[in-house]
Amino acid sequence: MIEIKGITKTYHTGGESLTALNKIDLRIEKGEFTSIMGPSGSGKSTMMNILGLLDRFDAGTYFLNGQNVSNLTDNESALVRNKEIGFIFQSFNLMPRMTILENVELPMVYANVSKKERRERALKALDRVGLSDRVKHRPNEISGGQKQRVAIARAIVNEPSVLMADEPTGNLDSKTTLEIMRIFQEINAEGTTVVMVTHEPEVAEYTKRVVLFKDGEIQDDRNQTQKTI
Amino acid sequence: MNFSENFKMAIDSVMANKMRSFLTMLGIIIGIAAVIAILGVGNGATDEITGTFNNLGASTISLSVTDEATESEPITENDIAALKEAIPEIERVSPDKTAMTSIQSDFENRQSIISYGTPDLQYTNQIMESTIVSGRYFNQNDYADGKSVIVISEDTAAALFNDRTEVLGEQIKLVGNSGNQLDLTVIGIVEGTFQDLQGSFDLSQMPLYAAIPLTTMEKLNPTLGGIDSLTIQVTDKDAIESVSTQIVRILETRHDAVGENWYSATNFLQALDQVDQVLSLFINFIAAVAGIALLVGGIGVMNIMLVSVTERTREIGTRKALGATTRTILVQFLMESVILCLIGGIIGLILGILLATGVSNALNIVPNITIGSVLLVLLFSSAVGIFFGLYPARKAAKLDPIEALRYE
Repeated sequence: MIEIKGITKTYHTGGESLTALNKIDLRIEKGEFTSIMGPSGSGKSTMMNILGLLDRFDAGTYFLNGQNVSNLTDNESALVRNKEIGFIFQSFNLMPRMTILENVELPMVYANVSKKERRERALKALDRVGLSDRVKHRPNEISGGQKQRVAIARAIVNEPSVLMADEPTGNLDSKTTLEIMRIFQEINAEGTTVVMVTHEPEVAEYTKRVVLFKDGEIQDDRNQTQKTI
Repeated sequence: MNFSENFKMAIDSVMANKMRSFLTMLGIIIGIAAVIAILGVGNGATDEITGTFNNLGASTISLSVTDEATESEPITENDIAALKEAIPEIERVSPDKTAMTSIQSDFENRQSIISYGTPDLQYTNQIMESTIVSGRYFNQNDYADGKSVIVISEDTAAALFNDRTEVLGEQIKLVGNSGNQLDLTVIGIVEGTFQDLQGSFDLSQMPLYAAIPLTTMEKLNPTLGGIDSLTIQVTDKDAIESVSTQIVRILETRHDAVGENWYSATNFLQALDQVDQVLSLFINFIAAVAGIALLVGGIGVMNIMLVSVTERTREIGTRKALGATTRTILVQFLMESVILCLIGGIIGLILGILLATGVSNALNIVPNITIGSVLLVLLFSSAVGIFFGLYPARKAAKLDPIEALRYE
């Protein structure tokens, strides 16, 4: 469960200051599938970075699964990211020199999981996204949709409570977009909270809740009936 | 994140850019190869020289007397006896002098090196090691009376007696500079090689060699002058310094010459010290050059690691998002630079050993590459890797994850 109160983030550049987020309150329950939408500069990316513990904020509190994560050190944040949060990026961000299996194993390497267990869990996660036949390939040998599925496998392999996806379908065609959204829906149905930043309304239709940001504030927050695939 | 994971990751990364990695290592390779080759050859040369000194004169002291002292207060046989009595560590003592003299048999007339001294000359002779083959060396009796006896080498015998070497009892004539002549009986044949010449001489060109008592030499050449040098052998190598000091002190006291600096005693330790000084100067100089090569190599490593950090900014951001801590990233990049340097060090080590072997073979010495210097090299290349890798690694570790993820 995510609970933030009064989150404010201001950027200072050359004497000018820009308020990216202005006293945001947001509560996302366990098992929700939420889209964060909004135009460029609305603060949605900053929101995502803060929720993902990649960025700090100037004021407010952030509780993740009941733990106050507002003032963690860099290393403490890394630990929470590793255990509780799975990241999916627009440009996949796979390690080009590693095999797909090694890519998926990486978060477990940082979690000090044994080699044998890593292999088992990575294969299971790859099977989960339908890529168990490609484990020895390298990222440049597979398609964009497959890359994003590898990234999803990597994100879920440590069994985090939240998936954070930043424009996950931004680099994909509409057919593969559907595939990815279907996987998200399946993972969400198993109880994992999913938060996704997108600027495409048709992608947001596959989520259960849409939070719309504008000028650093929440302009709209509504639940909707999830479109199924 | 354990050591083997990091190690594998670093190896993969180094291998991913083979050419670049190799070029980066080149400075380290050259530096380490130079250090190993120089240490190997230098130590080999030192061993060789030390070995030579140990064979020749590890227990030998050379005493030289100034001309002034030799004229006014020459060393006498009483001095030699007094030294022997006062210093129990003195095993043998003899003047060790040579003259070039005409030597004649019934068949031949040749020039020969004549060594002369006390009977101890048999052992203290610095020109030729004298091993008796037949007969005997001149003894105290011969010496005391200045008897007409001569000890010659096998080569000399062969040259003078038509290749015959069993010539004990034969007569030989020496002709002194002043025209004096002396008929001598051959009492001993010695076998030996000239120590300075190391057998590298054409045999027909080899000077002949013979030895006679000092007293006999005085008969041949009455204007010989006083004893201006002594060769002393001590029983215990470790006592060589103290014996040297004692000898000078005793002679100065006997000749009432304290503070005149008439006598100087040198021993192999001093000579070795000088050789060592020259060698270590040489080794240090080349080592400094090699050190500069390593420094340049290290800067090359730092440069390429900085490039690597920049190239992999997004990768670093992603790793951080996935849970890599600052320390994990630091160790990962440090490991890479250490491995670059270590592989370079190992290649350099192999090249250096080959080079040292080649050069040593050419110089006819045995290269000496110790386990210690191998370990030192490996340790040092790792240290170079850590030192020059630290800045890029810290830079990588401190990257802001968002900035890093946004980097195109």
